[in-house]
Amino acid sequence: MDSLLLSQYLIAGIVIGIIYALMAIGITFIYSIMKMINWSMGEFYMMGSYLQYFLVVYFLGAHLWFVGIPLSMAVVFGVGMIIQRYLLRPMFVGEMERKDEYATVITVALMVFFRNLAVVLAGPNQFAPPDYAGPTHIGPLPVSGNRFVALIGTLVILGLFYLIVKKTWVGKALRGSAQNRVGIQTAGVNVLRVDQIAFGIGVSLAAAAGALLAPIFLVWPENGAVATMKGFEIIVIGGLGSIPGSLVAGLLLGVIESLGSVLISPSFKDVYGFILVLAILTIRPTGLFGERQRVA
Amino acid sequence: MAFLSIQNVYCGYYAGIDILQDLSLQVDQGAFIGIIGPNGAGKSTLLKTIFGFLKYREGRVLFRDRETGDLSPFEIKKLGVSYIPQGSNNFPHMTIEENLLLGAWTFRGQKERIKEGLAKVYDIFPVLYEKKKQKAEFLSGGEAKILSIAKEMMSSPVLLLVDEPSAGLAPKIVSYVYAFLRSSQEKGITILLVDQNINQAIDHSQYLYMLEMGSVALEGSAEMFRENLRDIIRDSLLGT
Repeated sequence: MDSLLLSQYLIAGIVIGIIYALMAIGITFIYSIMKMINWSMGEFYMMGSYLQYFLVVYFLGAHLWFVGIPLSMAVVFGVGMIIQRYLLRPMFVGEMERKDEYATVITVALMVFFRNLAVVLAGPNQFAPPDYAGPTHIGPLPVSGNRFVALIGTLVILGLFYLIVKKTWVGKALRGSAQNRVGIQTAGVNVLRVDQIAFGIGVSLAAAAGALLAPIFLVWPENGAVATMKGFEIIVIGGLGSIPGSLVAGLLLGVIESLGSVLISPSFKDVYGFILVLAILTIRPTGLFGERQRVA
Repeated sequence: MAFLSIQNVYCGYYAGIDILQDLSLQVDQGAFIGIIGPNGAGKSTLLKTIFGFLKYREGRVLFRDRETGDLSPFEIKKLGVSYIPQGSNNFPHMTIEENLLLGAWTFRGQKERIKEGLAKVYDIFPVLYEKKKQKAEFLSGGEAKILSIAKEMMSSPVLLLVDEPSAGLAPKIVSYVYAFLRSSQEKGITILLVDQNINQAIDHSQYLYMLEMGSVALEGSAEMFRENLRDIIRDSLLGT
């Protein structure tokens, strides 16, 4: 096996892995604060890819694709805030015990709704936005420009996410809500508002992944399904509720899929991840970075 | 004008089951009030109701003549009320300093005030200053209690709701905590203390309410309770 070709696949795996991780971080982030799984994550990915496509093709032009990404994220952030406010918040209000099945029903319903909405609005066709960048090189290795751009974009978004969570007051409140929901309320934080912001941030990460991957994986009503599946695989591997876990597991999944494709066979690409999931579940059921939970 | 006035309140966790039943009591500004009573009498429920964690079904809660029934905990916090629950109130994966800073959330824009607040809290609790860079999860039980008290003091409250501060702590920490509550009251903070430890409650409070089955069974000055303690305990045990 040619070492140049191998490292090329390795890089491709890292790129895809880190973008998958973006999805997984969104899921984990929402889970750690609201203690609910958002099953419609892939539909926010889809929304992000559509928004990016229409912004770039009809308003911004191909050279301004990088303006489209924050705009798509902002729109999806807003949509997420509205959905949280009117559809998800009721499960936290006025009851001592949260209705977990309620969140599942709502988010699964949203998944079906948004997929069909996309068909109604834009038809069942696939769209491909113009390339973000031409082929380029990392050192001696040729890389697809779209993938390279997606990698850089993801790193920038993750950096901003880190800064917001670590350095700002809102970030402190987000972390506090994840760690102690009573303690954050006695501190005087409006925890329902925090939930809303967390949901908005989580789904806008999915939108970012959708917008960044649009030229690679294209834009169609069910393009979020694969991304969601990868996101959940990563969460099982990395451990639910752990952001570093999502990052490491995302990279691991991307690299294993990519190397599996080249070393064994590309037709089993989606199988390699599941083998990894099974292996992790056997060895470490809480995931690489997951903590054992004590159920009182 | 009463500082905190609870009037004929009915409140519970589930519809149709009221834990507090027609409960009324008064707290004057600057007072140290004790709430005692057997398990399940509604002591903790009362504090949760005052802080807005539970919505009462009937009656009124007035804080400085403002009805608090439709307010959420964060809005009640803004009025100057702090609540120290019995369980953990800290953020385990944050440093002690970050925990304290979150306690100052209600005036997060005001850098000077936060600095002053931190200095004041570190002055009162030097143990927190020594460990300010440590994660809260590594604190001992007593230190964690001190942190959760200090965190709620960061907002400079005028009314402090304290739920069972002695539960599960070493005697040395317990007396430290009570001494702190006493000195806070001397500085003008009103204290509403819920305690299962009747002797401690009587020693530190000026006036006490004894709850039974969700309403006030007996109230009086600390002296009254001290002199009649044997009778009170016997009566409450025998249910007469």
